[in-house]
Order: sequence, then C-alpha cells, then structure tokens
Amino acid sequence: MSARSTTEDHGPRRIEAGAPPERYARGWHCLGLASGFKDGKPHGIEAFGTELVAFQAAGTGELHVLNAYCPHMGGNLAHGTVKGDALACPFHDWRWAGNGKCAGIPYAHRVPPRARTRAWTTLEENGQLFVWYDPQGTPPPEGVTIPRIEGAFSDEWSDWTWNSIRIDGSHCREIVDNVVDMAHFFYVHNSFPTYFKNVFEGHVASQYMESDPREDMTAADTLSAQGRLRSEASYHGPSYMIDHLWTEVGGATAETVLINCHYPVSPDAFVLQYGALVKKLPGMTDEAAAQAAAQAAEGLATGFEEDVEIWLSKTRIDNPLLCDQDGPVYQLRRWYEQFYVDVEDVRPEMTDRFEFEIDTERAVRVWRDEVDANLARRAQSAQR
Amino acid sequence: MSMRPVECGACGNEVLVEKRSLPHTTVQWTRPTDRCPELAGRDSALTAVCTGLRSSIERAVREGTLEVGTDAEPADGE
Ligand code: FES
Ligand SMILES: [Fe+2]
Repeated sequence: MSARSTTEDHGPRRIEAGAPPERYARGWHCLGLASGFKDGKPHGIEAFGTELVAFQAAGTGELHVLNAYCPHMGGNLAHGTVKGDALACPFHDWRWAGNGKCAGIPYAHRVPPRARTRAWTTLEENGQLFVWYDPQGTPPPEGVTIPRIEGAFSDEWSDWTWNSIRIDGSHCREIVDNVVDMAHFFYVHNSFPTYFKNVFEGHVASQYMESDPREDMTAADTLSAQGRLRSEASYHGPSYMIDHLWTEVGGATAETVLINCHYPVSPDAFVLQYGALVKKLPGMTDEAAAQAAAQAAEGLATGFEEDVEIWLSKTRIDNPLLCDQDGPVYQLRRWYEQFYVDVEDVRPEMTDRFEFEIDTERAVRVWRDEVDANLARRAQSAQR
Repeated sequence: MSMRPVECGACGNEVLVEKRSLPHTTVQWTRPTDRCPELAGRDSALTAVCTGLRSSIERAVREGTLEVGTDAEPADGE
C-alpha cells in the first residue's frame, strides 16, 4: 500500500471506513471517582453493551460491581436498595452479595444453590473505581494493573476534579489515536509541539511531548495555556491514561497530573472521563490549589470539546493516508489490537517495544511562520 | 529507506532501526527488553529511551553502517 512514486497516477485514495469491532477491549476500565459510588445507593452504569450496577457494602465499605439485571425475574438492581453488605432487588427483595452469590431471599425457605449473578472484578486505586473486562473471563494477569499516583494520596496535591461525557456515534479508538497525532495538537488544540516521541511496549503506550502555547491564540484557547509544557502521558491498557505535566509559570514549575480515560457503552458509543490533580506550589492554600486544579480541568474540558467536535463529523478510517511528519498511527493500532483479540492470539509484534521519534524541524518552522503571520496581521489591524 | 539491524553495544541485543533524517528515529524491538540493563522490568514504555542503544545507533550513523534518509518518504505503510 505504500505509494512511492509521485508521477504514477494511482487514482484517488479510497477510504476504508471498516466497522467498529463488535467486542470490547480487554483490560481495566475506570468507572469514575470511587467517592461518587459511596453514597449508600446503587449506581447503574451502561457499559460493554450491558448494564452494570455499582454499590458500596454498608458493613465492609467495599465497592462492588454486579450485572444490573437480577437473575430471578430481571429486576434492575440499580433501582434497588443496599441492605447490609448486599444489594436488594426492587422487584422481590432478593439479596445479592458483592461476590455475586445470592445472600438471601426473605420470603423463601432456602436460596436455590445455583443462585448466582455475575460479579465483576474491581479495583480501587487513586481514589477511582475500576472494573476488569475480559470476554474470555480470565482474571487480570500479574503486572497488568493501574499504577498508583502518589499525588492522589498526598496533602501536597489538590483533590481530583472529575468530568464525564458520553460520546455517541464514535468508537473509542478515536481518542486513542490522539496518542500519536502530533499535528492535531497545533490545529485542533492551539498548542505548539516542539518535541514528540512515542513508545509502545507490552500493555503500555506512551507519548512524550514538549510544547509551547500558541502566541497567536488567546490563553483561554490553549491546552498549554501558561507556558512551555512537558508532558509524559501513558495508556496503561486500552483505556486509562495518566498524563504527567510540567508547566513553566512565572519562573516556577507547576506539576499537574491529568487522567484521560473511557469505557465503551456500545460498539459506537463511549463515556469519556477526565480529571486533574495539581501540586500545591509553596505557600499555596487548599482553596488556591483547588482553583488551579479547576483551571487545569477547564483547559482539559476545552481540549476534549475540540476533539469531540472533530469526531462527531469525521468518518472512521482504517487506512489513514500518512505523511512523513505524522506519528506511527499503524503501529499504535497494532498495539491497540492486542486488547481486541483473545489472549492466545496476541502476537509479539503487538507488544514488542516500538519507539518513534518525530523529526519536528519542518513542522516547527512552518508553524512558527504561521503564528508570526497571524501576529503580524493582528498588529496591523490594531494599528488601523 | 527501510529498517536496518543495529546491535546495542551495551547489551548485545539487536533491534531494527530506521532514520528518515537525523532527528527522526524508529526503533523496532523483536524480542523482550528483559536483558536491557536500562529497560528491563515492568512498564518500560515509561522509559523513553535506552541511552546505551541510542549511542550505538548514533555510532552506526557516524560510521556509515546506518544510512540516514534525506528526502523523507511517505510514512504510509502496513
Ligand atoms: S427479579 Fe429480582 S428479586 Fe425478583
Ligand atoms: Fe486531541
């Protein structure tokens, strides 16, 4: 498929839109901040083409995730009530324990021995709730986990901000593609990348980026609003990205951690969630830190709105036509594919280490000129 | 341009490398990183580079055993 000659006429490129996979990615998926599920009520979640319910056991305090529909007569447990460590169905009051076992049927002599519903493997980390999804039903292998973020447990950092938005009509591969898409940061997010490198290995995909704000855009429009920014962002599995950011603000370096995560609802819908943690600068009050985190979250929200606008009008494309300054989209998708095949079908090339460092020289020069031209035009019209 | 084998002077492992220009580098490993002194261990995608391997690549460029592209070619592949 590589078009080497420019003189030969190959005819117009035909887009292969393909169809989104019917299955969902194997891996840990963040459902939201754990505190949001700790209000004593069951919470319904539409995910993986089905309905789930999350609740906190009143006694143990543990969070559990079950299939939402009760195996008795199909009642929706999300409309039920937490009773002790079990969740009671609103239809006939059958009690379901966090491990999926029926813990009691008040009106019956005995519980049918096979009364069991599906309990999902959960994990609470970084103040967030995760479920493990694997269509083969295998538990998470050792080493495939969500890394601990120290800032989420430290008084020197703000609390999480958290936002959630549902995207209908797109597969979540669209957001994962961003990992390698250097140019869109300039054109969509008003930031100015100067360094860009990707590393994929095992179940982790990383993006190393340095960028400046675009001076021709007002600060509010930019992802890297304040100053030069260094970012190390990694997907740990198919859906949970931790992004460490260092921004230069007035001689100091501000440290931020962003989470960009999602879970699939159906083959063409997903819920995108994001949050921010900000390290308090010396002498910063809790309020000021919360404000800084809120500001980071706002920048993040703007960034995702910009992405969403693109997704809603674009087509799915399985055969992107790339130029020499594009990142390794095909290799990223080869990495991403490991989560959509059975474990025994994961091929070494999906997980072998791959590094790609972009030569940004030309892009930086062209973008510099574009920014300068915009600034000059603005200065001219201000003079008039 | 295509991928060329380069041996790491630090650990002896061989990787495939392409340089479309001096600043650009593609490195494809064809075996696990568990013998690399700088990358071995979990989640090594969290480490951007093995400096030993990088100097071996730079040496290969200096010695002319690794060709560096000048006119960047289409990245479209697969
Ligand atoms: S349907 Fe749940 S108790 Fe009957
Ligand atoms: Fe984006």
